[in-house]
Amino acid sequence: MTHFEDLYNRYAPQIFRVCLGYTNDADQAKDLVQETFISVWKNLEGFRNQSQVSTWIFRIATNHCLRAIEVAKRMPAAELPFELAETVEESPEEKLALLYRCIAELEETERIIISLELEGLPQAQIAEVVGLNSGNVRVKVHRIKDKLAQKFKAYGQFR
Amino acid sequence: MDNLDDLKAIWHTAKTDSLPTSGEMLQMIKKFRRQRLRNKWQVIITSCLLILLMVVILCVLPFKMLTSYIGGALFITAMVTLVATTVKSLRRFYRLDNCSNLEFVAFIEQTRQNQIFYYKKTMVAIVLLCSIGWLLYMYEPTYKYPLWFIGTHTAFIIYMAVMWFVVRPRSFKKDEDKLNALKQRLQDISNQLK
Repeated sequence: MTHFEDLYNRYAPQIFRVCLGYTNDADQAKDLVQETFISVWKNLEGFRNQSQVSTWIFRIATNHCLRAIEVAKRMPAAELPFELAETVEESPEEKLALLYRCIAELEETERIIISLELEGLPQAQIAEVVGLNSGNVRVKVHRIKDKLAQKFKAYGQFR
Repeated sequence: MDNLDDLKAIWHTAKTDSLPTSGEMLQMIKKFRRQRLRNKWQVIITSCLLILLMVVILCVLPFKMLTSYIGGALFITAMVTLVATTVKSLRRFYRLDNCSNLEFVAFIEQTRQNQIFYYKKTMVAIVLLCSIGWLLYMYEPTYKYPLWFIGTHTAFIIYMAVMWFVVRPRSFKKDEDKLNALKQRLQDISNQLK
């Protein structure tokens, strides 16, 4: 198995979740995964370990997400089923859909930061991906969490 | 759903089994690589071939008038400018590699400004060089035959006038609206990162 295949198998699911967090659209997220790994494949030989390979791949993926603004307006947030806002006991799928819906309502960079945070990247690494310092990322994560909490509350999920 | 760990647990329930396998991805990459940027490479290759053709014609055919050489030189200059601009614009597709989101947003803004510069300055220069070059170049082969001379020059001027006064403004208007909307979105994202 080549190095590329190792990287793909290891990071494709993570990249897909992050792109899904950004787009809230599975097809668009798959396209972004493909774009990301085309860039990875093309630049793999030139990668000189200046940063961790995961930082490198997440930078490529999130830049592809941001590049989508060149061709599309702000990614539309998919609608939730009408009755979901009234439901208290939801299935895991509904919980996930609600999470994506709430993330989709955030601003572009907030979506990237919270997606990377939920994916489990250390905040120092998120800072490297986004281009902010760690302290700034910590504050932003805290604010985004508060925003999400308010959104969940609005959808009747915080009790 | 009231803390980050809960959210992380939900986050990781997203199904990823519909993703292509690594083998399928490699197949897709090979196919996609050929399609992507095809137009830009076509412009570069066609322009290079035209430059080569013009150089060969100017060297091989026994032109007597200076206008033919000046015309050929202007045409070659226009093509070289087009190649240089297209190669420069290709850079943006390779720039995603290893720069932070903040740097990347600044880069998109720079690209946007380059595109406006291209529409307002470079494209004007290329079309002018090409048009004057072509008219001068065609002088020698047609000046002895008034009908051919008037016919070829009139047809070319009408074609260029339609392209310049009808096609270009329409295409520019469409792209200008897109570029202005992009400016606003880039500004929003830059503000988010402050």
